[in-house]
Amino acid sequence: MSIYRTTRRIALPLAVLTLAGAVVAAPSDPKATRQASFKKMGAAMKVLKEQLAGGSPAKPGMLAAAQTVAATARQQGALFPAGSGAGTDALPAIWTQKATFDAQMAKLVAESGKLVTVVNGGNVDAIGAQFKVVGGTCAGCHKQFRADN
Amino acid sequence: MKPIIQPVWDLPLRLFHWLLVGLIAFSWWSGENHEMEWHRWSGYAILFLLVFRLYWGLAGGRTARFSRFVRGPRAALAYLRGSGEADVGHNPLGGWSVVSMLAILIAMVMAGLFAVDVDGLESGPLADYVSFDAGRWASDVHSLIFNLLMGLIVLHIAAILFYLLARRRNLIGPMITGSVKAVDGAAAVPLRASVWRALTGLLIAAAITYFVSKGLHL
Ligand code: HEC
Ligand code: HEM
Repeated sequence: MSIYRTTRRIALPLAVLTLAGAVVAAPSDPKATRQASFKKMGAAMKVLKEQLAGGSPAKPGMLAAAQTVAATARQQGALFPAGSGAGTDALPAIWTQKATFDAQMAKLVAESGKLVTVVNGGNVDAIGAQFKVVGGTCAGCHKQFRADN
Repeated sequence: MKPIIQPVWDLPLRLFHWLLVGLIAFSWWSGENHEMEWHRWSGYAILFLLVFRLYWGLAGGRTARFSRFVRGPRAALAYLRGSGEADVGHNPLGGWSVVSMLAILIAMVMAGLFAVDVDGLESGPLADYVSFDAGRWASDVHSLIFNLLMGLIVLHIAAILFYLLARRRNLIGPMITGSVKAVDGAAAVPLRASVWRALTGLLIAAAITYFVSKGLHL
């Protein structure tokens, strides 16, 4: 087998692999990034819920979780570029009713920011109430803009 | 010959059956509409029924017992070829339908106990023991099993309609009244369901359900 043919045989798969690798690993893939971030927020909400349900919540754990939600929320809005709905649960309405969607995201940023403040304040009842507001903001947007419930 | 009244299903078994029908419908409605407080209550009630039914399969009346109706594939095949039935109660094929519905329901409830909704807001009582991702996975399994459950229920109803229309045999009546009229001559064979055993089963089911609903904390 000539060197030329061997090279050609290897080159194509190699090129395909490199390309595929680049696509998968691309840090700028907005779909994968926003989904991973949403999961992080969900996990943080679960932590808050469990702390609050326990009766004697631990402040450091709750503060970290609230900060995760607040910080992540601020980045989510930019991760919905036009045309990034295909193959995800992101409904087309996000782009046809962009203003409403953005408003809901802004609401999440505001309410989760308030949550951090309230957790710092340490009043458990107030934390519980604000937690519900934040959760309602997640649920409201999902109902309108996310496929499957 | 004078018709005799032959008991087929004991009262606990019939109550189990019709409560389950209502609760599955209610779980469906409350699940779809995300009425999670209601949905959890309904799920606990189903868990209670399932625990009771497993117990009743060991301690209940004759036709309720697993030993009576869980039969090998050969018995099921023989029944399909038309060798008839010796006794009232589940035939060998119907026995397998019961076992599969109970198994699916147990899987459904187990998945629900660990399920977490997308907002991380609502969850089953055992979700504290697993990660958010695992809870989401349980929720996916919960939805998937629901479709399987619907499939089995459709089969179940189709079989009953088949007996009603093609075989001219009403299976619905006995599940309500508990008995059939048999022109047999022989004396009716009792089911021997015991009230005390039923009460014991209710207590066991209540205790287990309460414990699970509290997230396994006392
Ligand atoms: C402004 C709208 C909006 C708000 C507010 C919002 N989400 Fe979402 N969420 C979405 C959309 C759209 C998707 C689907 C994304 C996709 O499939 O690419 C989604 C998906 C998710 C997912 C599934 C990710 C996956 O693919 O596995 C989780 C978990 C989630 N969100 C959690 C949350 C939590 C927790 C909050 C509140 C703290 C929240 N979301 C607030 C719009 C929103
Ligand atoms: C046989 C009994 C049950 C039936 C028929 C049932 C049915 C359903 C249905 C139809 C949904 C909606 C799924 C969706 O929107 O995709 C749902 C969701 C849910 N169920 Fe059940 N359920 C049962 C038992 C339980 C139990 C015992 C629990 C725990 C207490 C439970 C917890 C949940 C939770 C937390 C959700 C929300 C999951 C989500 O939104 O992703 N379920 N159930």
